[in-house]
Amino acid sequence: MARFFFDSGDRDLVLQDEIGVECAGIEEVRRVGFEGLVDLSRDELKSIDGQQLFVEVRDENGEKVLRLSLSLDIKMTR
Amino acid sequence: MVNHDLVREGDQPVYSFVVLEGLIGSTKYTGEGKRQITSFFVAGDIPDLHGLHLSVMDCNFSTLTPARVGFMRHDALRSICDQHPRIAAAFWRSTLIDAAIYREWVTNVGRREAYTRMAHILCELICRMRSVGRIEDHVADIPITQAALGDALGLSTVHVNRMLQELRREGLIATTGSRVHARDWAGLKRAGDFDTTYLHQKTPAD
Repeated sequence: MARFFFDSGDRDLVLQDEIGVECAGIEEVRRVGFEGLVDLSRDELKSIDGQQLFVEVRDENGEKVLRLSLSLDIKMTR
Repeated sequence: MVNHDLVREGDQPVYSFVVLEGLIGSTKYTGEGKRQITSFFVAGDIPDLHGLHLSVMDCNFSTLTPARVGFMRHDALRSICDQHPRIAAAFWRSTLIDAAIYREWVTNVGRREAYTRMAHILCELICRMRSVGRIEDHVADIPITQAALGDALGLSTVHVNRMLQELRREGLIATTGSRVHARDWAGLKRAGDFDTTYLHQKTPAD
């Protein structure tokens, strides 16, 4: 088990994870990060074209391990 | 011991227990094995008092922090209730307040945003621990894991961390290890949409 830190936010505001989460391996890091991104989008996704949300994962040495992101596209079709 | 089941769903206990130290959660599991914590219990609470009248347990009671509990035999409780109607009434009142807390919990998890939800649960814990004299001011030692907070709030662990971080950034709480200090109690109550009425405390701790 190792501790990973899941920073999250959008272009305007990134909140640093100061607590971290214990994960058994990269698969768990990915699952935990994805669940975080789902919650983040439920709270923070606004009806703004081009909005991007992400979760970025660091290990205990500060090395970036994984980045999950999604962006919203809104286009008028008529 | 943490995450130790004191009572399990399906049990037919002949005892109820009172919390002496620590934090107990009532928990249920979905068919997929996901845990929902449905209420917290602090020192002085009798979490499974309903077992006195409902013979089969419909949830689990687990330790969320190291805890000490005392067991009371149902037959002894029954004879106390028969002899002392005021004690029977106090027990009844206690289970009614438990139900009020469950109603608030459903509203919190079902309808409030994650930030408000987190602030609300911290307010509830601080209020309940204060009312039994377990904490002074608004500094509570809550050695509960983020995973357990997530199971209580229906949030991912990552989002629990984010919400704690946001409450810190707003100057509402400070945390050192497991210690949570409500730095701005009025602000935290506002953020948590928190009104103590549902706790029905005789001398509301404020």
